Amino acid sequence: MKYKHKLQLGALLGAMILMSLGCKKMTEEHNAIGDPMLQKNVFEVISQNPSLSTFAKYLVETGLDKELASSKSYTVFAPNNESLILLDATVRANPAKLKQFIANHITEELVRFSNATPKKRILMLNGKYNAIAPFSIESAVSTQANQYASNGILHTINMSVNALDNCWEFMAGNAAAPVKQRAFLQSLFRNVFDPTNATIVGINPTTGEPIYQKGTDSVYTNLFWRNVHDLRDETKQFTAFILADGGWDAERAAYARFFPTGSADSTTFATAWNIARDFAVDTLYTPSGLPDTVVSKFGAKLPINKSSIVASIKTSNGYVYVMSSMPVAPALRFATRVIEAERYSGVSHDRRSQTFFRDRFNDLTRRPYSDVLVLNHGIALFNLRYDIPEVPAIRYRAFWVAVNDFQTATFTQRLGVGSPLSTLLPYVNVVANTRGEVFLGEFTLTTYSPVLSLFLTAANSTANAANPLVCDYIKLVPSL
Amino acid sequence: MRLGKNIIIKRKSDIMKIAKIQTALLLLVAVVFSTGCQKVFDIKPKDTLDQSQMYQNVYDADAAVLGIYGKFMGLADRYIILNELRADLLDCTQNADENLRQISTHAVGVDNPYASPRPFYELILNCNDVLENFQKMRVQKKMTESEFNQRYSDIGALRSFIYLQLGIHFGRVPYVTSRIKNVDEVKNPDTYPVIGFDALLDSLINFTEKLPYKELYPVGSNLNITVDGYQTQKFFVNKKVILGDLYLWKGNYQNAAINYREVMETGTQGVANGQYYSLYKVGWDSNGDVDHYISYSRAGDASTLIQNTQWRIMFEQPFGSSGFDREWVWVLPFDSKFNPENPLIRMFSPIGGSYTVRPSQLVTDMWNAETQRPAQGGSIPYDARGLLSTKQIGGQPVVMKYLYNYLNFNSLLPVNPLAKTGKWFLFRQTHLHMRFSEAANRSRKHRLAWGLLNSGITGAFPAPGSDVTNFHNTLNEAFPFNFDARNSGSTGVPFYRADWYRNIGIRARANLVDIAVPASDSMLNIETNLIKETALENAFEGTRWPDLLRIAIRRNDPSFVADRVFNKLIRSGVSSGAASTARAKLLARDWYLPFKW
Repeated sequence: MKYKHKLQLGALLGAMILMSLGCKKMTEEHNAIGDPMLQKNVFEVISQNPSLSTFAKYLVETGLDKELASSKSYTVFAPNNESLILLDATVRANPAKLKQFIANHITEELVRFSNATPKKRILMLNGKYNAIAPFSIESAVSTQANQYASNGILHTINMSVNALDNCWEFMAGNAAAPVKQRAFLQSLFRNVFDPTNATIVGINPTTGEPIYQKGTDSVYTNLFWRNVHDLRDETKQFTAFILADGGWDAERAAYARFFPTGSADSTTFATAWNIARDFAVDTLYTPSGLPDTVVSKFGAKLPINKSSIVASIKTSNGYVYVMSSMPVAPALRFATRVIEAERYSGVSHDRRSQTFFRDRFNDLTRRPYSDVLVLNHGIALFNLRYDIPEVPAIRYRAFWVAVNDFQTATFTQRLGVGSPLSTLLPYVNVVANTRGEVFLGEFTLTTYSPVLSLFLTAANSTANAANPLVCDYIKLVPSL
Repeated sequence: MRLGKNIIIKRKSDIMKIAKIQTALLLLVAVVFSTGCQKVFDIKPKDTLDQSQMYQNVYDADAAVLGIYGKFMGLADRYIILNELRADLLDCTQNADENLRQISTHAVGVDNPYASPRPFYELILNCNDVLENFQKMRVQKKMTESEFNQRYSDIGALRSFIYLQLGIHFGRVPYVTSRIKNVDEVKNPDTYPVIGFDALLDSLINFTEKLPYKELYPVGSNLNITVDGYQTQKFFVNKKVILGDLYLWKGNYQNAAINYREVMETGTQGVANGQYYSLYKVGWDSNGDVDHYISYSRAGDASTLIQNTQWRIMFEQPFGSSGFDREWVWVLPFDSKFNPENPLIRMFSPIGGSYTVRPSQLVTDMWNAETQRPAQGGSIPYDARGLLSTKQIGGQPVVMKYLYNYLNFNSLLPVNPLAKTGKWFLFRQTHLHMRFSEAANRSRKHRLAWGLLNSGITGAFPAPGSDVTNFHNTLNEAFPFNFDARNSGSTGVPFYRADWYRNIGIRARANLVDIAVPASDSMLNIETNLIKETALENAFEGTRWPDLLRIAIRRNDPSFVADRVFNKLIRSGVSSGAASTARAKLLARDWYLPFKW
């Protein structure tokens, strides 16, 4: 017991002495940063590495050195001096391009390389995305990975990562892209109505709609960005096709007959637009993974003949293929249109309280479906309108599914093309409990319609048993 | 006195010294205790109640009753997980932890917290304690006889309910009715032998049947008032429902039907008003807030399904409103104003919760296989109760029944993100009618059972002409199967408005077509359809597993539960191996959780 007491006393004394004397130094040493590299910021680490001197020089030149000395966090993929010898002279000479190029090696994301680094695209300081994988970024490989600094991580890489054009910049701006389709894409800039940033200067007393200050109610934008895909979007990945001038002209010549309009100019435009709009998809197809058919946003099936590929351009957000020609048969380009009848664009009279959106089960297809029924509306020639965009001048075969399960008497209804009273198609009987597609007839459109209105028209009768309207969907099959 | 523990003692003298010190200390303690004990230590705490002061008068007894129910509410999430996730209507989401997945796939490990019977026994021991103290109070005349009867019966019936749950999920359990301090003593098989489910049912029926009071707390009682905006009457267990359940499990269909029928007649007293005709009678009242129909503002237009009132509203309605009162038999409220916290939003909601469980694909398929009554030609090919019991939030299917006090039914956004109010639904009139029908069906009253399931008593016994005297009723039967639903209309002669004339049947209320019954096998067919209808109507309300298990035991057909669980697992994307293992386990009558904690 005594022995123990002495021990305890000794320990206590020792602790007190330690506390009073060495306390301060001990804690300091404990918390001090042992790795001298961690006392320097990323830029300092780079500038002290002689094999990165060129990169460091460019950082200073572009002013990015100050960014890297700041207190944000960065990951820098620094190409070594040998790789920067190969830097394109035009980039070297152009300060803006040089900054783009250097910023393409810096990200605000912290990327530690390991064998388990997930493959993904990371946002670089210049707004573009680069793909990383274990110990690599794009095609560059890390020679010295994971060097830590006070505000980030440095990886030395063996090859520079060029700041590529995006799909749009290449197709519409790069001199290497074929001239004619490029010019067409550039011609698609328009002032488009967009009230997001508009100033309201008054209210129309008759319609109650706002009046916008002139010049604020529209944005200057490109039809392709708005209606097809915004190929500038760096966050997505696209595959786009651009035709060499010969192929472009041949395709336009082949399709001009499907787009007759009032004037030659507008025919030319409509033809070119309907060809070009199919030439971009929001799926990435690399040259090795390019399928034999690509389906466009508008349903066209584009056959890909790999021998027609003149050049495969890798862009920052996908691939652009320059094609010598890309003939698409009309039967592949013009897709079947299915119009859901319950999603109509307009009605001839307000009959919402006689309109039924019905949920049903189709015994024939074994599928549930929704349709529209207008019953007891009391209007002769009552009709529902459907607006269908971009309809070429071709021959169509028309079908519908119209299930009359509410009365035993047969009634008639008609599909009016362009007008509710159009006689292009006849009145067709709707027999009780027919659940299959019914052929309505064929009709030929003689002009191209930017918007074609179809009408589902009831019988010319006010009798309730004779004038119901019912439809699940309308189908237009190109007949070529 | 832990002196000696950490010192390595090498010499004998050391031992002697320690012994001396210990003796001295002991002496000191002894002196302190012997002299000053009473005064020094026996100071009653000022802000809490000592047990000896607890049971002084009826208000203390009321506090004890509410305390038991407060603790009972702590079982809400466990109750739903065990009774629904083990069955086929509820499924795990990606957020669910391993313990929930084990419950769903019937591969429960011994340390799974959801499978522990301990929380049930903690509450049972609390009940036992309260029951014993109530008896002491009666002897000491601290409560009147009627006050004692009401409170004692309430806690007794609640304990029977908890034991029934234990029997359903654990099979063989110890039946402890005395007061013990330490819950772990329950596990001692020498003191408290485990008994089988059937023997447990006998004990429970024996105990519950003898309870002196089987009605609700009367108006004027302190336990039938409005507190914090909540009418308390529906908080408390309905003793006759528990008795009916016990008899139904036991297979005594006559007594089960008697007890259920008495609850069904709760409203049949006093003035013949809406409450008289529709409280617990599944009767209409020409008021969407009370009717709880599936209906469309324009029949046949599927886009006009009524959501702001009718069927959905029963889950949102406040306590004490007439629609709520006529539907619900037993509900407890969760409110941000008082404890315990609502665990159900955490379970079910992707907004403000962790969304660990979701409706199974199987229940969606079941709703989609139903057919509504024709309107504007054909029929809508699904049961719209599915659209109201669940919703898609952010592309994910969500059980909505428990969330309608938290999320707005239309915007699906929280009314107030921090006020997590809700309800724990335990029992309502559709349960009552389905179980009465189950008992009636087994008592060979097939048409009556079919009627309550489909289009009501008048639908099952239609009148060919305007004289309904000999139709619309089952008065040739003895109680409890004698219903009078005669309704002559306003022009019929003679004139009838019988007690049950408004009864419309579960499926008619849900706008579904009647179920056709083959003449060859009406009993099993009706029984299967009754169980299916409870799933469609009362999905996620905590009765599915008991329903499946009861029928499997009654028919001696384990496939009744095994196949349904298998179908759920297969359709939820669990590997077919795991699904088959679960099926094989249930087919081998291995229905129960391990009794371990």
